Amino acid sequence: MYQWLDDRLSIGKLYAKAFRKAFPVHHSFFLGEITLFSFVTLVLTGIFLTLNYEPSIRPVSGSLSGGQEVPAAYYSILYIDSLPFGAVLRSLHHWAAHIMIAAAFLHMLRIHLTGAYKNPRELNWIVGVFLLVLAIITAFTGYALPFDNYALTATKIGYEIGAAAPWVGKLMSDILFAGELSPTNTQTIPRLYPVHVLWLPLALIGLIGAHLAIMIKQKHTQPKYAEKVAPGKIVGVPLFPQQAAMMGILFLIYIAVTTFIAGAFLAHPVQAFGPPTANTPPVKPDWYFMWIYGILQIIPANWRFEFLGATFGPQFWGGILVPTLIILGALAIPFLDYSKDKQRYLELPSQHPFRTSFVIGMLMFYIMSTLAGYKVDLGLSNGLLWVLVFIVPVITGVVSYILLKAVYGKSWNQEVEVEFIGKGSAADD
Amino acid sequence: MADHEATAHHHHEEDPQAQATRRAILQAAIGVSAGAAVLSTLWVGAGLIPREEKVPSKEPVAVGDTLVFATGPKAGQEITLDDLRAAQGEKIPFIIAFPKSPENVVKKDLITNTVMVILADPAKMSPETRQHASPEGVLAYSAVCKHLGCTVSLWQNDTWLCPCHGGKYDIYNQAKVVGGPVPAPVPQLPVKVEGGKVVVAGEFLGKPGADV
Ligand code: FES
Repeated sequence: MYQWLDDRLSIGKLYAKAFRKAFPVHHSFFLGEITLFSFVTLVLTGIFLTLNYEPSIRPVSGSLSGGQEVPAAYYSILYIDSLPFGAVLRSLHHWAAHIMIAAAFLHMLRIHLTGAYKNPRELNWIVGVFLLVLAIITAFTGYALPFDNYALTATKIGYEIGAAAPWVGKLMSDILFAGELSPTNTQTIPRLYPVHVLWLPLALIGLIGAHLAIMIKQKHTQPKYAEKVAPGKIVGVPLFPQQAAMMGILFLIYIAVTTFIAGAFLAHPVQAFGPPTANTPPVKPDWYFMWIYGILQIIPANWRFEFLGATFGPQFWGGILVPTLIILGALAIPFLDYSKDKQRYLELPSQHPFRTSFVIGMLMFYIMSTLAGYKVDLGLSNGLLWVLVFIVPVITGVVSYILLKAVYGKSWNQEVEVEFIGKGSAADD
Repeated sequence: MADHEATAHHHHEEDPQAQATRRAILQAAIGVSAGAAVLSTLWVGAGLIPREEKVPSKEPVAVGDTLVFATGPKAGQEITLDDLRAAQGEKIPFIIAFPKSPENVVKKDLITNTVMVILADPAKMSPETRQHASPEGVLAYSAVCKHLGCTVSLWQNDTWLCPCHGGKYDIYNQAKVVGGPVPAPVPQLPVKVEGGKVVVAGEFLGKPGADV
């Protein structure tokens, strides 16, 4: 049997080439895998959801809505919640999306802090940035689908932020949402639905494929100690069976933990918000948009001018310009911090005080602008928030730079003694 | 490298001039067809632009419309002076409304038709504001926040508050912005009271809807 398959598919060769691919062992290397597991979970739970969801807002009524006429999309969420484990699966979809974005972000942070984006991996860093942005956009297009009052309000803010882009914004928003986003626009859900369940996921699959293919071609970077153990070789375990076993176990743990979270914290109770009305409930965006939401709250209202028929106002500065600059900045990183030689090993964050303090400062910026999202709730003043959002990150960066230099500066020239506990074999790459 | 040599060898006898011409033609052909492909994609993509439907429920607010409840158990019913009096004692002292045409069509499908009505003390109003309010003190504004289009639906310490990013409006003074990132005041809607009902007495005093 094996021989028969091997003759036709040359499994032996495949095994020797692909299955022996070496994986460096470090727990932070699992962040990318967790992102991938989240995506798989999203696709699987998403399939379940699509099979029970009606992408339309035609008015329906039934026992689930207490005889009240509600949009069909809204009603199908009530229906899904009434199915055995339906609410949990919907919740799992919700939390897996959050975990995917969080894990992708931490994965990026790991790459950034260790300089793994350097030559020759610039391209994969760029693909990675696009993956994160695309994942967030995909999450956003799913917001409106339950079509409750909260979902529609949150999406509406996105619509207007899009419309704030100079010249083409209104057209872009109208194309994505099939016109003005309103509780009675019958075309919006039929448009968002295929975008959320088909086109964006396809694009994600394509990018994920490219990301992994490039990674396999270029091989992992690996911890520094590997250079001493086996210079020029990848120190780690082969994909099959060791790494595959670890991944399998991690996937099961992932599913177990996420399902527990999903069951314990049910996502977004649509009944509590009801179908969309002309009234706006107090909304807060998800945590990954909270920093934009915070910046939108502290931009002064009078920062506004017209230019060639386009309006540049607070919505544009906070909602479009700041995020765009941050994305462009992220794309530029591998070119600003470029290495001539091919990078094979990870760098220690302590030995790169500037880069490390920059990352810490950036994190502080996210935390502080997220805090600004609670401006009204906490009664914080604009002046204070400007200091928190723009000055505190700079101070944090400078302080951490000084500390890093003081603590690690002297030992740079000495060889850092790393304890090697002999895990992993020097598998061939 | 090997490829290149092979090609060079292959065209050994050929006039380099002819080769250059052929390359230029090929490049032009690629450029033109790529451009045509992009243009035609855009052309077809124009089909994604939603078509505006002209329906009575999407007409903008007009003089002579009455204001009706936009939400709640009384949705669709005309707002009376009594309703507004009752609301005065509530935590939210105003009512979110839609206009209803004399032909009895509630114009609820145009977002910018969302209106806030309140019964307020005329003595507190600025002269400009009072001029477009009814003598009883019925006052109306576009309820679509100028910032990012939320319905301004909260009331805190006598100011009208947008729940989305904390925009604050002073209803006694032409909805002047007194807090938050809002770029401009919402336009006032002149109203009067006829037969106990709130009736639109003029056009919005500015453009309603988010200012983006
Ligand atoms: S939409 Fe009203 S403050 Fe932002």
